[in-house]
Amino acid sequence: MNTLEIKKLIISSLNSDADCAGISRKLEEEGVSYNFSKNFGDRILNKLFSAGVSINREVEFVKYMNFAFYRVALTGVAAIVILLISIFLMQGSLSLNSFLGLSDNYDESIVCLLTGN
Amino acid sequence: MIKESYNLAEEDALVKASLNGDKGAFGEIVNRYQRLVARTVKGMLGDSVFAEDIGQEVFINLYHSLSDFRGEAKLSTYIQKIAVNLTLNEIKRRKRFFSMFSQKANNEMYEFEIADHDTQERREASEIVNKALMAMDPKFRIIVTMRMLQGYSTKETAEILDLPVGTVLSRLSRAQEQLRNILKKL
Repeated sequence: MNTLEIKKLIISSLNSDADCAGISRKLEEEGVSYNFSKNFGDRILNKLFSAGVSINREVEFVKYMNFAFYRVALTGVAAIVILLISIFLMQGSLSLNSFLGLSDNYDESIVCLLTGN
Repeated sequence: MIKESYNLAEEDALVKASLNGDKGAFGEIVNRYQRLVARTVKGMLGDSVFAEDIGQEVFINLYHSLSDFRGEAKLSTYIQKIAVNLTLNEIKRRKRFFSMFSQKANNEMYEFEIADHDTQERREASEIVNKALMAMDPKFRIIVTMRMLQGYSTKETAEILDLPVGTVLSRLSRAQEQLRNILKKL
């Protein structure tokens, strides 16, 4: 088919009563064909199904993070409780002074605590 | 026959198997319809890497929306609608992007690759079709792609593009006029 015939065929495909299926078949025979690369299907399947694996990994990571958070939080709470009990046993009370390690509330003691003198 | 037509029951089984996570079944759907998608996407965007990416996106979208497919229309029509929407979105996106640069860049946003093994005559036919398509206004180009490359009737074209038949008919005659002018220069 020469160039002129190809052009006529293209234009005729837009006639309202055209045999479009026939025209597209003829054009394909003349080399007007489209296709994707060889591994097109494999790439899609890899994208779709490896995406599932990465989502699973993400979910597992979040799960482990939650677990780690609870462990750290529980350890922290246990340490605070032990600290409070030891302060109570040593000082005999749980007042602010006993927390700060001060015997009284005078300014000199605070200055002493802050400056170390 | 260009149009892919398969047994509806078989298609339904493939869809159901894909929904159950059967990789092989979805692979079969991709194999069956990749040429159909290639004609729309490459016909509209040119034979470029971008077209390949949009093609992949079509099937990925299809996979995620398979549960919405009720089997009322053919699977090919459903896939074609996804392909048309994604391609038109990509054209709009490119238009916005390239409008920030020169007019020259705007004209260079489409590429062609013609297979080396094709004879001179076959290469010429492919070149004429691609050049003519790319020179067209996208709203006419989609009509020409559906008719000339996919072989759809006016009614089928209207159904896929979600347009009234009357609109398709009027666009057909305007597209034909534009195509005549373009082909005169080629």
